[in-house]
Amino acid sequence: MEAVDSIQEPLLVAHGLVKSFGEKRVVDGVDLTCAPGEVLGLLGPNGAGKTTALRMCYGFLRPDAGSVRIAGHDLTAAPDAARRALGVCTQDDTFDADFSVRGNLEQTGRYYRPRLPQLSQRIDELLEQFGLKEYEHHMPEMLSGGYRRRLMIARAVLHRPRVVFLDEPTTGLDPQARVAVWELVASLRAQGMAVVLTTHYMDEAERLSDRLLVLQGGKVRASGQSVHVLGDIVGEHIVVLPVNAPGAEGVPAWLTSRGLTASTVLGFWHVPLDARGLASFASDFPVLRYEVRIPTLDDLFMALAEEKKQ
Amino acid sequence: MSAFLPAFAWQSFAVLGRHWRVHLRKWHTALLPPLMEPLIMLLAFGVGLGSHMSTLAWNGQSLDYLTYLAPGILAYTAFMTSFFQSLFSAYVRMHFQKSWEGQLTTQVRLEHVVWGEALWAASMATAYAGMVCLVLAGFGISGSLQLHWFGLLLSLPLLFLAALAFSSIGLLFTATLPSMDHMGLPFFLVIMPVGFASSTYFPLPSLPVLDQVAMLNPLNHLAEGLRDLLIMGHLSWHLAAAAGLSVLMLAVLIPIDLRLLRKRVFGDSR
Repeated sequence: MEAVDSIQEPLLVAHGLVKSFGEKRVVDGVDLTCAPGEVLGLLGPNGAGKTTALRMCYGFLRPDAGSVRIAGHDLTAAPDAARRALGVCTQDDTFDADFSVRGNLEQTGRYYRPRLPQLSQRIDELLEQFGLKEYEHHMPEMLSGGYRRRLMIARAVLHRPRVVFLDEPTTGLDPQARVAVWELVASLRAQGMAVVLTTHYMDEAERLSDRLLVLQGGKVRASGQSVHVLGDIVGEHIVVLPVNAPGAEGVPAWLTSRGLTASTVLGFWHVPLDARGLASFASDFPVLRYEVRIPTLDDLFMALAEEKKQ
Repeated sequence: MSAFLPAFAWQSFAVLGRHWRVHLRKWHTALLPPLMEPLIMLLAFGVGLGSHMSTLAWNGQSLDYLTYLAPGILAYTAFMTSFFQSLFSAYVRMHFQKSWEGQLTTQVRLEHVVWGEALWAASMATAYAGMVCLVLAGFGISGSLQLHWFGLLLSLPLLFLAALAFSSIGLLFTATLPSMDHMGLPFFLVIMPVGFASSTYFPLPSLPVLDQVAMLNPLNHLAEGLRDLLIMGHLSWHLAAAAGLSVLMLAVLIPIDLRLLRKRVFGDSR
Protein backbone atom coordinates (compact mmCIF):
# COMPACT_ATOMS: atom_id res chain seq x y z
CA MET A 1 0.00 0.00 0.00
CA GLU A 2 1.19 3.43 -0.95
CA ALA A 3 1.25 5.93 1.88
CA VAL A 4 2.53 9.37 2.63
CA ASP A 5 4.84 9.68 5.59
CA SER A 6 6.76 12.81 4.80
CA ILE A 7 5.38 15.78 6.68
CA GLN A 8 6.20 17.91 3.63
CA GLU A 9 3.66 16.07 1.51
CA PRO A 10 0.04 17.23 1.82
CA LEU A 11 -2.23 14.55 3.27
CA LEU A 12 -5.14 15.77 1.19
CA VAL A 13 -4.57 16.49 -2.48
CA ALA A 14 -7.66 17.22 -4.57
CA HIS A 15 -7.00 18.19 -8.13
CA GLY A 16 -9.29 19.59 -10.80
CA LEU A 17 -12.56 18.66 -9.11
CA VAL A 18 -15.59 19.14 -11.30
CA LYS A 19 -19.19 18.30 -10.43
CA SER A 20 -22.40 19.13 -12.23
CA PHE A 21 -25.96 18.45 -11.18
CA GLY A 22 -28.02 18.41 -14.34
CA GLU A 23 -27.04 21.43 -16.40
CA LYS A 24 -25.59 23.29 -13.43
CA ARG A 25 -21.84 23.04 -12.83
CA VAL A 26 -21.59 23.32 -9.06
CA VAL A 27 -17.84 22.78 -8.70
CA ASP A 28 -15.64 23.83 -11.57
CA GLY A 29 -11.98 22.84 -11.45
CA VAL A 30 -11.24 23.16 -7.75
CA ASP A 31 -7.80 22.22 -6.39
CA LEU A 32 -7.21 21.92 -2.69
CA THR A 33 -4.52 20.57 -0.43
CA CYS A 34 -4.05 20.21 3.30
CA ALA A 35 -0.79 19.35 5.04
CA PRO A 36 -0.25 17.50 8.33
CA GLY A 37 -0.96 19.75 11.31
CA GLU A 38 -2.72 22.31 9.12
CA VAL A 39 -6.29 23.60 9.34
CA LEU A 40 -7.73 24.60 5.98
CA GLY A 41 -10.82 26.80 6.18
CA LEU A 42 -13.14 26.31 3.23
CA LEU A 43 -15.29 29.39 2.83
CA GLY A 44 -17.83 30.75 0.45
CA PRO A 45 -21.38 32.03 0.37
CA ASN A 46 -24.32 29.64 0.08
CA GLY A 47 -24.23 27.92 -3.29
CA ALA A 48 -20.49 28.50 -3.74
CA GLY A 49 -19.90 24.74 -4.00
CA LYS A 50 -18.03 24.14 -0.76
CA THR A 51 -20.27 21.35 0.55
CA THR A 52 -20.15 19.62 -2.85
CA ALA A 53 -16.36 19.98 -2.97
CA LEU A 54 -16.09 18.64 0.57
CA ARG A 55 -18.40 15.72 -0.19
CA MET A 56 -16.24 14.76 -3.16
CA CYS A 57 -13.16 14.89 -0.92
CA TYR A 58 -14.60 12.43 1.58
CA GLY A 59 -16.18 10.15 -0.96
CA PHE A 60 -19.90 10.94 -0.71
CA LEU A 61 -19.95 12.20 -4.29
CA ARG A 62 -18.03 10.97 -7.32
CA PRO A 63 -16.37 13.81 -9.22
CA ASP A 64 -17.22 14.21 -12.92
CA ALA A 65 -13.54 15.02 -13.36
CA GLY A 66 -10.51 15.35 -11.12
CA SER A 67 -9.01 13.22 -8.41
CA VAL A 68 -8.74 13.06 -4.63
CA ARG A 69 -5.83 11.49 -2.76
CA ILE A 70 -5.98 10.93 0.97
CA ALA A 71 -2.61 10.19 2.59
CA GLY A 72 -1.39 8.96 -0.79
CA HIS A 73 -4.39 6.75 -1.54
CA ASP A 74 -6.59 7.55 -4.51
CA LEU A 75 -10.18 7.77 -3.29
CA THR A 76 -11.58 6.18 -6.46
CA ALA A 77 -8.96 3.51 -7.11
CA ALA A 78 -8.35 2.53 -3.47
CA PRO A 79 -11.49 3.60 -1.61
CA ASP A 80 -10.96 1.32 1.40
CA ALA A 81 -7.44 2.57 2.10
CA ALA A 82 -8.39 6.20 1.47
CA ARG A 83 -11.46 6.00 3.68
CA ARG A 84 -9.43 4.34 6.42
CA ALA A 85 -7.27 7.47 6.44
CA LEU A 86 -10.06 10.03 6.64
CA GLY A 87 -12.61 11.02 9.25
CA VAL A 88 -15.81 12.98 8.76
CA CYS A 89 -17.95 15.05 11.08
CA THR A 90 -21.04 15.93 9.06
CA GLN A 91 -23.06 19.05 9.62
CA ASP A 92 -26.06 17.10 10.94
CA ASP A 93 -25.80 14.72 13.86
CA THR A 94 -25.67 11.27 12.32
CA PHE A 95 -24.89 9.08 15.29
CA ASP A 96 -26.74 5.82 15.76
CA ALA A 97 -29.78 6.50 17.91
CA ASP A 98 -29.98 2.82 18.92
CA PHE A 99 -26.66 2.93 20.79
CA SER A 100 -25.34 4.78 23.82
CA VAL A 101 -22.44 7.23 23.57
CA ARG A 102 -19.96 4.43 24.16
CA GLY A 103 -21.98 2.05 21.97
CA ASN A 104 -21.78 4.54 19.10
CA LEU A 105 -18.01 4.58 19.31
CA GLU A 106 -17.86 0.78 19.59
CA GLN A 107 -20.15 0.35 16.60
CA THR A 108 -18.20 2.87 14.53
CA GLY A 109 -15.06 0.88 15.30
CA ARG A 110 -16.66 -2.14 13.63
CA TYR A 111 -16.88 -0.25 10.35
CA TYR A 112 -13.10 -0.28 9.87
CA ARG A 113 -10.63 -2.87 8.63
CA PRO A 114 -7.97 -3.67 9.61
CA ARG A 115 -9.74 -3.79 12.97
CA LEU A 116 -8.81 -0.95 15.28
CA PRO A 117 -6.22 -2.14 17.78
CA GLN A 118 -7.15 -1.80 21.45
CA LEU A 119 -10.52 -0.27 20.56
CA SER A 120 -11.82 -0.22 24.12
CA GLN A 121 -8.73 1.62 25.33
CA ARG A 122 -8.99 4.10 22.47
CA ILE A 123 -12.65 4.74 23.33
CA ASP A 124 -11.75 5.39 26.97
CA GLU A 125 -9.07 7.81 25.81
CA LEU A 126 -11.53 9.72 23.58
CA LEU A 127 -14.26 9.78 26.22
CA GLU A 128 -11.77 11.43 28.58
CA GLN A 129 -10.36 13.79 25.97
CA PHE A 130 -13.79 14.93 24.78
CA GLY A 131 -15.30 15.20 28.27
CA LEU A 132 -17.83 12.47 27.53
CA LYS A 133 -16.82 9.98 30.22
CA GLU A 134 -19.73 10.76 32.55
CA TYR A 135 -22.19 10.40 29.67
CA GLU A 136 -20.79 7.20 28.18
CA HIS A 137 -23.91 5.17 28.98
CA HIS A 138 -26.36 7.93 27.99
CA MET A 139 -28.22 7.80 24.70
CA PRO A 140 -27.00 10.52 22.30
CA GLU A 141 -30.37 12.30 22.18
CA MET A 142 -30.01 12.96 25.93
CA LEU A 143 -26.90 15.07 25.32
CA SER A 144 -26.82 18.84 24.86
CA GLY A 145 -25.91 20.23 21.45
CA GLY A 146 -22.30 20.83 22.48
CA TYR A 147 -21.80 17.30 23.74
CA ARG A 148 -23.44 15.84 20.65
CA ARG A 149 -20.88 17.69 18.54
CA ARG A 150 -18.14 16.32 20.75
CA LEU A 151 -19.45 12.83 20.16
CA MET A 152 -19.59 13.46 16.41
CA ILE A 153 -15.97 14.64 16.36
CA ALA A 154 -14.86 11.79 18.65
CA ARG A 155 -16.46 9.35 16.25
CA ALA A 156 -14.73 11.00 13.29
CA VAL A 157 -11.27 10.56 14.85
CA LEU A 158 -11.79 7.16 16.53
CA HIS A 159 -9.67 5.34 13.95
CA ARG A 160 -6.86 7.91 14.10
CA PRO A 161 -7.41 9.30 10.59
CA ARG A 162 -4.77 11.42 8.84
CA VAL A 163 -7.30 13.85 7.36
CA VAL A 164 -10.42 15.10 9.19
CA PHE A 165 -13.32 16.90 7.53
CA LEU A 166 -15.43 19.07 9.82
CA ASP A 167 -18.52 20.43 8.11
CA GLU A 168 -19.80 23.40 10.12
CA PRO A 169 -18.90 21.75 13.42
CA THR A 170 -20.18 24.56 15.68
CA THR A 171 -23.39 25.58 13.93
CA GLY A 172 -26.13 26.07 16.50
CA LEU A 173 -23.86 25.91 19.54
CA ASP A 174 -23.69 28.47 22.34
CA PRO A 175 -20.42 30.44 22.71
CA GLN A 176 -19.06 28.22 25.49
CA ALA A 177 -19.67 25.04 23.51
CA ARG A 178 -18.11 26.63 20.42
CA VAL A 179 -14.94 27.39 22.34
CA ALA A 180 -14.84 23.79 23.57
CA VAL A 181 -15.07 22.55 19.96
CA TRP A 182 -12.36 25.01 18.90
CA GLU A 183 -10.07 23.55 21.53
CA LEU A 184 -10.77 20.05 20.21
CA VAL A 185 -9.97 21.18 16.67
CA ALA A 186 -6.72 22.71 17.91
CA SER A 187 -5.86 19.42 19.60
CA LEU A 188 -6.45 17.51 16.34
CA ARG A 189 -4.06 19.89 14.59
CA ALA A 190 -1.53 19.39 17.39
CA GLN A 191 -1.76 15.63 16.79
CA GLY A 192 -0.64 16.19 13.21
CA MET A 193 -3.96 15.63 11.50
CA ALA A 194 -4.84 17.62 8.41
CA VAL A 195 -8.15 19.34 9.21
CA VAL A 196 -10.52 20.73 6.59
CA LEU A 197 -13.17 22.96 8.07
CA THR A 198 -16.21 24.70 6.70
CA THR A 199 -17.98 27.32 8.74
CA HIS A 200 -20.25 30.32 8.46
CA TYR A 201 -18.69 31.90 11.54
CA MET A 202 -15.98 34.20 10.30
CA ASP A 203 -14.32 34.59 13.70
CA GLU A 204 -14.08 30.81 13.85
CA ALA A 205 -12.47 30.59 10.42
CA GLU A 206 -9.97 33.31 11.32
CA ARG A 207 -9.05 31.79 14.68
CA LEU A 208 -8.77 28.18 13.61
CA SER A 209 -7.57 28.22 10.03
CA ASP A 210 -3.95 28.36 9.01
CA ARG A 211 -5.06 28.88 5.45
CA LEU A 212 -8.31 29.81 3.75
CA LEU A 213 -9.74 28.67 0.46
CA VAL A 214 -12.56 30.86 -0.78
CA LEU A 215 -15.00 29.43 -3.30
CA GLN A 216 -17.29 31.54 -5.44
CA GLY A 217 -19.53 30.12 -8.16
CA GLY A 218 -17.85 26.72 -7.91
CA LYS A 219 -14.34 28.10 -8.49
CA VAL A 220 -11.50 29.05 -6.20
CA ARG A 221 -11.76 32.81 -5.79
CA ALA A 222 -8.78 33.20 -3.44
CA SER A 223 -6.57 31.13 -1.19
CA GLY A 224 -3.86 31.68 1.38
CA GLN A 225 -3.57 33.17 4.83
CA SER A 226 -6.60 35.20 5.87
CA VAL A 227 -4.77 38.51 5.75
CA HIS A 228 -3.72 37.91 2.14
CA VAL A 229 -7.12 36.62 1.09
CA LEU A 230 -8.77 39.69 2.60
CA GLY A 231 -6.24 41.99 0.97
CA ASP A 232 -6.80 40.38 -2.42
CA ILE A 233 -10.59 40.37 -2.36
CA VAL A 234 -11.63 43.09 0.05
CA GLY A 235 -8.79 45.59 0.41
CA GLU A 236 -6.56 46.75 3.22
CA HIS A 237 -8.98 49.12 4.96
CA ILE A 238 -12.70 49.48 5.41
CA VAL A 239 -14.17 52.91 5.70
CA VAL A 240 -17.49 52.90 7.56
CA LEU A 241 -19.82 55.89 7.39
CA PRO A 242 -23.56 56.54 7.62
CA VAL A 243 -25.33 56.67 4.28
CA ASN A 244 -27.01 59.95 5.26
CA ALA A 245 -23.92 61.56 6.78
CA PRO A 246 -23.64 65.29 5.98
CA GLY A 247 -21.25 65.67 3.06
CA ALA A 248 -21.56 62.06 1.92
CA GLU A 249 -23.68 62.87 -1.13
CA GLY A 250 -20.66 62.70 -3.41
CA VAL A 251 -19.48 59.30 -2.18
CA PRO A 252 -21.44 57.11 -4.67
CA ALA A 253 -20.11 59.09 -7.63
CA TRP A 254 -16.60 58.97 -6.15
CA LEU A 255 -16.83 55.19 -5.86
CA THR A 256 -18.22 54.79 -9.37
CA SER A 257 -15.45 56.90 -10.85
CA ARG A 258 -12.91 54.50 -9.33
CA GLY A 259 -14.77 51.32 -10.16
CA LEU A 260 -15.37 50.56 -6.48
CA THR A 261 -18.47 49.26 -4.73
CA ALA A 262 -19.56 49.66 -1.14
CA SER A 263 -21.77 47.27 0.75
CA THR A 264 -24.63 48.78 2.71
CA VAL A 265 -25.41 47.35 6.13
CA LEU A 266 -28.10 48.87 8.35
CA GLY A 267 -27.72 52.36 6.90
CA PHE A 268 -23.93 52.33 6.83
CA TRP A 269 -21.62 52.13 3.85
CA HIS A 270 -18.66 49.79 4.20
CA VAL A 271 -16.12 50.94 1.62
CA PRO A 272 -13.10 48.69 0.97
CA LEU A 273 -9.99 50.70 0.09
CA ASP A 274 -6.27 50.18 -0.31
CA ALA A 275 -3.78 52.62 1.22
CA ARG A 276 -3.75 54.93 -1.81
CA GLY A 277 -7.52 54.84 -2.05
CA LEU A 278 -7.82 55.74 1.62
CA ALA A 279 -5.46 58.68 1.21
CA SER A 280 -7.43 59.84 -1.80
CA PHE A 281 -10.76 59.45 0.08
CA ALA A 282 -9.42 61.48 3.00
CA SER A 283 -8.28 64.18 0.65
CA ASP A 284 -11.54 64.32 -1.37
CA PHE A 285 -13.84 64.29 1.70
CA PRO A 286 -11.95 66.33 4.27
CA VAL A 287 -14.93 67.23 6.47
CA LEU A 288 -16.64 63.84 6.44
CA ARG A 289 -16.60 61.88 9.72
CA TYR A 290 -16.05 58.16 9.32
CA GLU A 291 -14.43 55.14 10.91
CA VAL A 292 -11.54 53.19 9.41
CA ARG A 293 -11.10 49.58 10.45
CA ILE A 294 -9.25 46.53 9.26
CA PRO A 295 -11.29 44.14 7.09
CA THR A 296 -12.76 40.93 8.50
CA LEU A 297 -14.06 37.81 6.83
CA ASP A 298 -17.55 39.29 7.15
CA ASP A 299 -16.38 41.93 4.70
CA LEU A 300 -15.13 39.16 2.46
CA PHE A 301 -18.60 37.65 2.36
CA MET A 302 -20.15 41.03 1.68
CA ALA A 303 -17.67 41.62 -1.14
CA LEU A 304 -18.40 38.22 -2.65
CA ALA A 305 -22.13 38.87 -2.43
CA GLU A 306 -21.63 42.19 -4.23
CA GLU A 307 -19.57 40.42 -6.91
CA LYS A 308 -22.32 37.86 -7.34
CA LYS A 309 -24.96 40.57 -7.73
CA GLN A 310 -22.91 42.23 -10.46
CA MET B 1 -21.64 -7.55 -11.59
CA SER B 2 -20.24 -4.73 -9.46
CA ALA B 3 -23.69 -4.27 -7.94
CA PHE B 4 -23.56 -7.82 -6.53
CA LEU B 5 -19.99 -8.24 -5.30
CA PRO B 6 -20.58 -5.91 -2.32
CA ALA B 7 -23.09 -8.47 -1.01
CA PHE B 8 -20.08 -10.51 0.10
CA ALA B 9 -17.96 -7.61 1.39
CA TRP B 10 -17.10 -7.37 5.08
CA GLN B 11 -18.73 -3.91 5.20
CA SER B 12 -22.14 -5.37 4.27
CA PHE B 13 -21.79 -7.89 7.07
CA ALA B 14 -20.70 -5.11 9.46
CA VAL B 15 -23.99 -3.35 8.67
CA LEU B 16 -25.87 -6.64 9.06
CA GLY B 17 -24.10 -7.16 12.40
CA ARG B 18 -25.22 -3.72 13.54
CA HIS B 19 -28.86 -4.61 12.88
CA TRP B 20 -28.56 -7.95 14.68
CA ARG B 21 -26.91 -6.25 17.66
CA VAL B 22 -29.77 -3.74 17.97
CA HIS B 23 -32.38 -6.46 17.48
CA LEU B 24 -30.88 -8.81 20.04
CA ARG B 25 -31.07 -6.08 22.67
CA LYS B 26 -34.83 -6.02 22.13
CA TRP B 27 -35.28 -9.77 21.72
CA HIS B 28 -37.82 -10.14 24.53
CA THR B 29 -40.26 -7.76 22.83
CA ALA B 30 -39.18 -8.63 19.30
CA LEU B 31 -39.85 -12.34 19.82
CA LEU B 32 -43.56 -12.04 20.50
CA PRO B 33 -44.96 -10.88 17.11
CA PRO B 34 -43.30 -13.56 14.95
CA LEU B 35 -44.47 -16.25 17.35
CA MET B 36 -47.93 -14.92 18.10
CA GLU B 37 -48.93 -13.87 14.59
CA PRO B 38 -48.74 -17.31 12.93
CA LEU B 39 -50.18 -18.90 16.06
CA ILE B 40 -53.20 -16.61 15.98
CA MET B 41 -53.58 -16.94 12.20
CA LEU B 42 -53.42 -20.73 12.35
CA LEU B 43 -55.82 -20.86 15.27
CA ALA B 44 -58.24 -18.29 13.88
CA PHE B 45 -58.25 -19.34 10.25
CA GLY B 46 -56.82 -22.84 10.21
CA VAL B 47 -58.63 -24.21 13.23
CA GLY B 48 -61.48 -21.69 13.72
CA LEU B 49 -62.57 -20.97 10.17
CA GLY B 50 -61.36 -24.39 8.99
CA SER B 51 -63.79 -26.16 11.32
CA HIS B 52 -66.69 -24.53 9.45
CA MET B 53 -65.36 -25.59 6.07
CA SER B 54 -65.40 -28.83 4.22
CA THR B 55 -62.11 -30.07 2.82
CA LEU B 56 -60.27 -28.25 0.03
CA ALA B 57 -59.36 -29.83 -3.27
CA TRP B 58 -55.70 -29.17 -4.08
CA ASN B 59 -53.71 -30.99 -6.76
CA GLY B 60 -56.13 -33.88 -6.66
CA GLN B 61 -55.80 -34.12 -2.90
CA SER B 62 -58.47 -33.47 -0.33
CA LEU B 63 -57.02 -31.26 2.43
CA ASP B 64 -58.35 -29.66 5.58
CA TYR B 65 -57.86 -25.89 5.63
CA LEU B 66 -55.20 -25.94 8.39
CA THR B 67 -52.99 -28.19 6.28
CA TYR B 68 -53.52 -26.01 3.22
CA LEU B 69 -52.82 -22.83 5.19
CA ALA B 70 -49.62 -23.89 7.02
CA PRO B 71 -47.18 -23.71 4.03
CA GLY B 72 -48.93 -20.56 2.83
CA ILE B 73 -48.29 -18.80 6.13
CA LEU B 74 -44.65 -19.82 5.95
CA ALA B 75 -44.28 -18.23 2.51
CA TYR B 76 -46.32 -15.16 3.42
CA THR B 77 -44.22 -14.57 6.56
CA ALA B 78 -41.02 -14.49 4.50
CA PHE B 79 -42.63 -12.07 2.05
CA MET B 80 -44.15 -9.70 4.58
CA THR B 81 -41.23 -9.62 7.01
CA SER B 82 -38.71 -8.93 4.29
CA PHE B 83 -40.83 -6.29 2.64
CA PHE B 84 -41.59 -4.55 5.92
CA GLN B 85 -37.96 -4.54 7.06
CA SER B 86 -36.56 -3.29 3.77
CA LEU B 87 -39.24 -0.67 3.41
CA PHE B 88 -40.38 0.71 6.75
CA SER B 89 -37.35 -0.04 8.95
CA ALA B 90 -34.81 0.90 6.28
CA TYR B 91 -36.70 4.11 5.50
CA VAL B 92 -36.64 5.11 9.18
CA ARG B 93 -32.92 4.41 9.43
CA MET B 94 -32.20 6.30 6.22
CA HIS B 95 -34.53 9.27 6.58
CA PHE B 96 -35.18 9.87 10.27
CA GLN B 97 -32.34 8.28 12.23
CA LYS B 98 -29.75 9.21 9.59
CA SER B 99 -27.79 6.14 10.66
CA TRP B 100 -27.03 5.43 6.98
CA GLU B 101 -25.18 8.73 6.72
CA GLY B 102 -23.23 7.90 9.87
CA GLN B 103 -22.17 4.56 8.38
CA LEU B 104 -21.24 6.24 5.11
CA THR B 105 -18.63 8.42 6.81
CA THR B 106 -16.61 5.26 7.51
CA GLN B 107 -15.22 2.55 5.21
CA VAL B 108 -18.80 1.50 4.53
CA ARG B 109 -20.13 2.65 1.16
CA LEU B 110 -23.70 2.94 -0.06
CA GLU B 111 -23.66 -0.43 -1.82
CA HIS B 112 -22.70 -2.04 1.51
CA VAL B 113 -25.45 -0.22 3.38
CA VAL B 114 -28.01 -1.36 0.80
CA TRP B 115 -26.81 -4.96 0.80
CA GLY B 116 -26.64 -4.85 4.61
CA GLU B 117 -30.31 -3.83 4.65
CA ALA B 118 -31.26 -6.52 2.12
CA LEU B 119 -29.35 -9.23 3.99
CA TRP B 120 -30.88 -8.09 7.25
CA ALA B 121 -34.41 -8.17 5.80
CA ALA B 122 -33.78 -11.66 4.42
CA SER B 123 -32.23 -12.85 7.69
CA MET B 124 -35.14 -11.53 9.71
CA ALA B 125 -37.62 -13.08 7.29
CA THR B 126 -35.85 -16.44 7.55
CA ALA B 127 -35.68 -16.19 11.34
CA TYR B 128 -39.39 -15.36 11.51
CA ALA B 129 -40.12 -18.22 9.12
CA GLY B 130 -38.11 -20.41 11.48
CA MET B 131 -40.44 -19.36 14.29
CA VAL B 132 -43.43 -20.21 12.12
CA CYS B 133 -41.82 -23.65 11.72
CA LEU B 134 -41.76 -23.94 15.53
CA VAL B 135 -45.43 -23.02 15.73
CA LEU B 136 -46.24 -25.56 13.00
CA ALA B 137 -44.23 -28.16 14.91
CA GLY B 138 -46.38 -27.35 17.96
CA PHE B 139 -49.50 -28.06 15.91
CA GLY B 140 -47.83 -31.26 14.72
CA ILE B 141 -47.09 -32.37 18.27
CA SER B 142 -50.70 -31.68 19.23
CA GLY B 143 -51.74 -33.99 16.38
CA SER B 144 -53.73 -31.37 14.48
CA LEU B 145 -51.28 -31.02 11.60
CA GLN B 146 -49.43 -33.61 9.54
CA LEU B 147 -46.56 -32.43 7.33
CA HIS B 148 -43.34 -33.86 5.94
CA TRP B 149 -41.33 -32.20 8.68
CA PHE B 150 -37.90 -32.62 7.07
CA GLY B 151 -39.17 -30.24 4.37
CA LEU B 152 -39.18 -27.38 6.87
CA LEU B 153 -35.41 -27.52 7.08
CA LEU B 154 -35.06 -27.76 3.31
CA SER B 155 -37.35 -24.78 2.84
CA LEU B 156 -35.24 -22.31 4.86
CA PRO B 157 -32.52 -21.58 2.24
CA LEU B 158 -35.17 -20.98 -0.42
CA LEU B 159 -37.11 -18.74 1.96
CA PHE B 160 -33.91 -16.73 2.49
CA LEU B 161 -33.40 -16.31 -1.26
CA ALA B 162 -37.02 -15.35 -1.85
CA ALA B 163 -36.92 -12.90 1.07
CA LEU B 164 -33.76 -11.33 -0.37
CA ALA B 165 -35.63 -10.83 -3.63
CA PHE B 166 -38.67 -9.36 -1.87
CA SER B 167 -36.36 -6.94 -0.03
CA SER B 168 -35.27 -5.55 -3.40
CA ILE B 169 -38.88 -4.42 -3.98
CA GLY B 170 -39.03 -2.90 -0.50
CA LEU B 171 -35.81 -0.99 -1.15
CA LEU B 172 -37.24 0.30 -4.42
CA PHE B 173 -39.98 2.02 -2.45
CA THR B 174 -37.50 3.16 0.21
CA ALA B 175 -35.67 4.92 -2.61
CA THR B 176 -38.71 6.50 -4.18
CA LEU B 177 -41.37 7.23 -1.55
CA PRO B 178 -41.52 11.01 -1.11
CA SER B 179 -42.42 10.84 2.59
CA MET B 180 -43.67 8.67 5.42
CA ASP B 181 -47.22 9.73 4.52
CA HIS B 182 -46.92 7.68 1.32
CA MET B 183 -46.03 4.48 3.17
CA GLY B 184 -49.51 3.10 2.42
CA LEU B 185 -48.79 3.04 -1.32
CA PRO B 186 -46.58 -0.06 -1.43
CA PHE B 187 -49.15 -1.94 0.62
CA PHE B 188 -51.82 -1.23 -1.97
CA LEU B 189 -49.52 -1.53 -4.96
CA VAL B 190 -47.50 -4.60 -3.97
CA ILE B 191 -48.49 -6.39 -0.80
CA MET B 192 -52.21 -6.67 -1.48
CA PRO B 193 -52.04 -7.66 -5.17
CA VAL B 194 -49.09 -10.01 -4.71
CA GLY B 195 -50.70 -11.54 -1.64
CA PHE B 196 -54.04 -11.91 -3.43
CA ALA B 197 -52.55 -13.60 -6.52
CA SER B 198 -50.46 -16.00 -4.52
CA SER B 199 -52.56 -18.89 -3.22
CA THR B 200 -51.09 -18.39 0.24
CA TYR B 201 -54.39 -18.20 2.11
CA PHE B 202 -56.81 -19.67 -0.42
CA PRO B 203 -56.67 -21.51 -3.75
CA LEU B 204 -56.78 -19.06 -6.63
CA PRO B 205 -60.01 -19.01 -8.65
CA SER B 206 -59.35 -20.35 -12.13
CA LEU B 207 -59.37 -17.22 -14.29
CA PRO B 208 -57.09 -16.94 -17.35
CA VAL B 209 -55.69 -13.53 -16.38
CA LEU B 210 -55.16 -14.54 -12.78
CA ASP B 211 -53.42 -17.74 -13.86
CA GLN B 212 -50.97 -15.71 -15.95
CA VAL B 213 -50.30 -13.25 -13.13
CA ALA B 214 -49.78 -16.11 -10.70
CA MET B 215 -47.27 -17.69 -13.05
CA LEU B 216 -45.09 -14.58 -12.67
CA ASN B 217 -45.65 -14.24 -8.95
CA PRO B 218 -42.73 -15.67 -6.93
CA LEU B 219 -44.88 -15.75 -3.79
CA ASN B 220 -47.38 -18.01 -5.54
CA HIS B 221 -44.63 -20.42 -6.61
CA LEU B 222 -43.12 -20.28 -3.14
CA ALA B 223 -46.42 -21.14 -1.47
CA GLU B 224 -47.24 -23.89 -3.96
CA GLY B 225 -43.71 -25.27 -3.86
CA LEU B 226 -43.75 -25.40 -0.07
CA ARG B 227 -47.11 -27.19 -0.22
CA ASP B 228 -45.61 -29.79 -2.56
CA LEU B 229 -42.66 -30.16 -0.24
CA LEU B 230 -44.45 -30.18 3.10
CA ILE B 231 -47.71 -31.91 2.17
CA MET B 232 -46.65 -34.21 -0.66
CA GLY B 233 -43.05 -34.60 0.43
CA HIS B 234 -41.44 -33.90 -2.93
CA LEU B 235 -39.60 -31.12 -4.70
CA SER B 236 -41.62 -29.57 -7.49
CA TRP B 237 -41.04 -27.16 -10.36
CA HIS B 238 -42.68 -24.44 -8.29
CA LEU B 239 -39.63 -24.32 -6.04
CA ALA B 240 -37.35 -23.94 -9.06
CA ALA B 241 -39.67 -21.24 -10.43
CA ALA B 242 -39.62 -19.39 -7.09
CA ALA B 243 -35.81 -19.56 -7.01
CA GLY B 244 -35.50 -18.48 -10.65
CA LEU B 245 -37.88 -15.55 -10.29
CA SER B 246 -36.09 -14.50 -7.10
CA VAL B 247 -32.73 -14.46 -8.86
CA LEU B 248 -34.27 -12.53 -11.76
CA MET B 249 -35.76 -9.96 -9.38
CA LEU B 250 -32.43 -9.49 -7.67
CA ALA B 251 -30.57 -9.18 -10.96
CA VAL B 252 -32.96 -6.51 -12.22
CA LEU B 253 -33.93 -4.61 -9.09
CA ILE B 254 -30.73 -4.35 -7.04
CA PRO B 255 -28.88 -2.22 -9.63
CA ILE B 256 -31.98 -0.01 -9.92
CA ASP B 257 -32.22 0.22 -6.11
CA LEU B 258 -28.58 1.26 -5.89
CA ARG B 259 -28.96 3.93 -8.53
CA LEU B 260 -32.14 5.37 -7.02
CA LEU B 261 -30.81 5.26 -3.47
CA ARG B 262 -27.59 6.98 -4.55
CA LYS B 263 -29.74 9.71 -6.02
CA ARG B 264 -31.82 9.90 -2.86
CA VAL B 265 -29.00 9.84 -0.32
CA PHE B 266 -26.38 11.89 -2.15
CA GLY B 267 -28.54 13.79 -4.64
CA ASP B 268 -26.49 12.19 -7.39
CA SER B 269 -26.97 8.92 -9.28
CA ARG B 270 -23.37 8.49 -10.45
